[in-house]
Amino acid sequence: MITSPALSQAAAARQWFLAREDLGALVEAIRGTGRRVIGPTVREGAIVYDEIQTAADLPAGWRDVQSAGSYRLERASDERAFGYTVGPTSWKRFTFPPNLPIAKAHKATFGFEQPAPSVPPVAFLGVRACEIAALAIQDRVFLGGQFTDDDFRARRSAAFIVAVQCTTSSSTCFCTSMATGPEVRGGYDILLTEIDGGFVVQAGSPGGAAIVAKLPTRRPSHAEAGAAVDNVESVRTQMGEPLPMAGIGDRLKLQLDNLRWAQVAERCVECGNCTMSCPTCFCTSVIEQSDMDGKSSTTERQWDSCFDVAFAKVAGGDFRARPRDRYRQWLTHKFSTWWDQFGSSGCVGCGRCITWCPVRIDVREELAAIAPPIAPVEHPMAVEPVAASPGTYSIARLASVRPETEDTTTLSLTDLDPAFLEGRPGQFVMIALPAFPAVPISISRFRANAIDLTIRAVGQTSTALVNLHPGAKVGLRGPLGTFWPIQEAYGRHAVVVAGGVGLSPLHGLVDALVANHDRFESVSLFYGSRTPEDQLFRDDLAAWTASKAIDVVVTVDRAGPEWKGRVGVVTNLFDMISWDCTKVTAFVVGPERMMQASVQGLISKGVPTDRIHVSMERHMECGIGLCGHCQMAGRFVCEDGPVFRLNDLGDMFNREGI
Amino acid sequence: MHARAMDDYAAVIAMLNHTWFGAELSPETQERLARLGEIQDFEADEVILHEGDAAKEMGILISGRLALRTLVPERGPVTILSVEPGDIFGWSAVLADTQAQSTVVATESSQALVIEGIQLRAALKEDHALAASLYPRVLKAVARRLRATRLQLLDLFAR
Amino acid sequence: MATSGRTARPRVAVAKFASCDGCQLTILDLEDQLLEIVSRFDIVEFPEATSRRSPGPYDIVFVEGSISAPEHIDQIKELRKQARVLVTIGACATAGGIQALRNWADHDAYRAAIYAHPEWIESLATATPVSEHVKVDAELRGCPIDPGQLLELLTAVLVGRRPQIRDEAVCRECKRKGIVCLVVAGGQACMGPVTTSGCNALCPTYDRGCFGCFGPRAGANAKSWSAELLKSGRPPEEVWGLFAGFTGYAEPFRSVITELGKSKG
Repeated sequence: MITSPALSQAAAARQWFLAREDLGALVEAIRGTGRRVIGPTVREGAIVYDEIQTAADLPAGWRDVQSAGSYRLERASDERAFGYTVGPTSWKRFTFPPNLPIAKAHKATFGFEQPAPSVPPVAFLGVRACEIAALAIQDRVFLGGQFTDDDFRARRSAAFIVAVQCTTSSSTCFCTSMATGPEVRGGYDILLTEIDGGFVVQAGSPGGAAIVAKLPTRRPSHAEAGAAVDNVESVRTQMGEPLPMAGIGDRLKLQLDNLRWAQVAERCVECGNCTMSCPTCFCTSVIEQSDMDGKSSTTERQWDSCFDVAFAKVAGGDFRARPRDRYRQWLTHKFSTWWDQFGSSGCVGCGRCITWCPVRIDVREELAAIAPPIAPVEHPMAVEPVAASPGTYSIARLASVRPETEDTTTLSLTDLDPAFLEGRPGQFVMIALPAFPAVPISISRFRANAIDLTIRAVGQTSTALVNLHPGAKVGLRGPLGTFWPIQEAYGRHAVVVAGGVGLSPLHGLVDALVANHDRFESVSLFYGSRTPEDQLFRDDLAAWTASKAIDVVVTVDRAGPEWKGRVGVVTNLFDMISWDCTKVTAFVVGPERMMQASVQGLISKGVPTDRIHVSMERHMECGIGLCGHCQMAGRFVCEDGPVFRLNDLGDMFNREGI
Repeated sequence: MHARAMDDYAAVIAMLNHTWFGAELSPETQERLARLGEIQDFEADEVILHEGDAAKEMGILISGRLALRTLVPERGPVTILSVEPGDIFGWSAVLADTQAQSTVVATESSQALVIEGIQLRAALKEDHALAASLYPRVLKAVARRLRATRLQLLDLFAR
Repeated sequence: MATSGRTARPRVAVAKFASCDGCQLTILDLEDQLLEIVSRFDIVEFPEATSRRSPGPYDIVFVEGSISAPEHIDQIKELRKQARVLVTIGACATAGGIQALRNWADHDAYRAAIYAHPEWIESLATATPVSEHVKVDAELRGCPIDPGQLLELLTAVLVGRRPQIRDEAVCRECKRKGIVCLVVAGGQACMGPVTTSGCNALCPTYDRGCFGCFGPRAGANAKSWSAELLKSGRPPEEVWGLFAGFTGYAEPFRSVITELGKSKG
């Protein structure tokens, strides 16, 4: 978390008056400390945030008129420098740039360079209460989890905050509903409140106090101090009754099947402008740019949007295929599942998503229509910052390549960072090649000095990986994600249900079950695949069967006459379970439809839902909870999963469009 | 095929009791079926019923494995389901004038209780207690197969 | 993966049908990379650049222009047979282009209005994208194409991966560049929300609404956008023109135009 050093209460409460004509002294004083000043300025018919050289660059005498889908500048009747609300730019442009080179790969040396961020000191001038709240949300998203974003940390730490109290509001503003404003309550170095003739100034940090000391200030009169308070209070009155937001998170969760999602999706053009304008939306994708000589490539991170049609796509299909799924994802994330992930709302009430929506969708109207008020529910607000652990690449060497089926291949990797060997069955790695974007692959087997990755060649990176020859190098990050809670099956019947390539993330678990088989009441593997040719790990299946430590039952959906084994869907196999199913702990992986059928079959046999563990597949770009692609309701599949306890997923399991 | 006369109905009933299909039938039905049918042994690769032939008998598999195959032009025979011990085959014989829906082949040496369709239908017509006990069981077996077929139709492993 | 040495350079041909040659010029405009390109690709057919001719087969064929004349149909089929990879370039080849405006008009009347001797002109009643006639492996959109996307495609061929050509709204590029929305703040007409990216928001950068020359993006909600343009007070003729301009023959723009045409009468 980024917090300024504390200032004594008395110092923080001290106020000065700065005349309007002396505002330039503030800009100069800040620039004098070697900081660039970013602040509001008029450009392209709007007040945007850009570099400020002098106070003359500020939008004195301009006001904005905003409504859904419309923004216009007008001359104001006074010369206030900050007599507008918030414009198209949000500060995330400077804390979380829209395009950021994050790595460079060199083919000759097989080096993955992830440059340490170097950010010159900067000052944000004119930060509003809702925007300070947005910065605090970004802090929780980028710095509050297990993995942190070093570039954000550097940019955030480099920023000196000059906050400005709002003395007016737009029709799109709803900070009072989100409890983020209108008053600035902290998180600044200097705070300005504009009144007739000048500003009431307060310092919020020793750095801020040092700047204020250089300004030609005097103590404000009682009238001036009073006007400052009244001006901010008038904004609250202007905005009217706050929206009934109590319990909105739970209210939305009850409305996932509301018909309104489809109606709003008919209007929504999925341009993504709401997400781009939003000061807290943080989804990104990476693109690879290769030099034509093939010697080096650059990985650039770009702002992306969950409204993108390919955002939740994996090789097997699209988890949010319909526009209504994507609109629901965005709105429920902002107002509901953000609480589950980050302990706060994802919305600060700045209203940018309303103003900058070209088809004039007003999120306040949608919330009121979809999730009208019910009795409020208290939310815990406890997010402990965790130490940073950057997701940096290490290089591994390809020891062997074994074809499993027509399109699936197992790679054995060696010369590993020891962390990988200490990984647990169920975890995955992000694997990359120079010029090819990283993809998530689960670890199928842990060997003495190697790990196996079993890869289906479906995309560009996976195809390139399976075409490598022994000796080739690959870049790895990880091991990542949750693992199979094997101890939960101690003393019980351990049942592994695998479908198709789903046996891959279960292979390591089966190895562990076999090695410790006497700790379980029984151990069985039910493995279904489409045809006998689609079976993975045929040698291992035979070895497991021979070991007598596990009961291996395989079936295929269809087969030619030469196949003498079972034919039929994998759920048919549950009929042979003769033991007490309340004593079963099940581990299930396969294509989502197969998992759904299997889980239903297990539940109908009496297996408790807290004893069923599944591994989910989602699109991932980063693997460390920062890119937003793998979000599944209130969880990131990369960090909170991929292994989930079924009842932790609740009704999100197999729900359409999540 | 090798058929054995079974005077020892008690032994057949005991076998039935070990099957998924037979275990929940009433004792009267179990005895009736034991008397109606005969225990038959099949060798590996032996064809028990041909697709399209009159559905002349229904069987309850006691041990071994049978494959239900259908002929797909240009692809040859495709196994669409295996019958595991406890399950039934040739259930169409419960209905008059029907044809076998698939070819039934033993994939390993197997043993089944086989009942002539004509006799079974006659018994069901005249013995309402038998009908009341057997029909729901057949229906359950068919429903189970329908459910599995539906899952297969969904192609769970589709890409 | 990548080809090695001069001998293994991929054989490249550039072909054209009904078009203005602007996309071919984009290739020649890659001045800084041209030497690099010719050292890595063997460009054997390129009417805009050289009179040298060379028969197929080719590794890559870039096709510019729409299928507009009777002989084009056989020519493109033959070209397809000669091409390992066929890439269409530009709005004409990918969507029919401006010529496709005639698909909604009286062909004979157009011909008579433009040419002194219409009887000398043999042309089809419709101008259609190449993909209506043969299988297309990749598309580069735009009028003209974007040099950056072209370079990415060439580089990807050398590296041995799929080109990273995103399909997102032009709005995304505006937002990343920090361009203030011309629709919301300026009241301009703009096709950005329904048009696929790739131009790096070229027109909005110069304060002009997007003309839609890159064509509809996947899942473009053209219906909602045309309704919004009408609701904001624009006459149906203007909205018709916005959608029809460069890529109107591509769905879902085509349906919007047909619908507007009905109401226009």
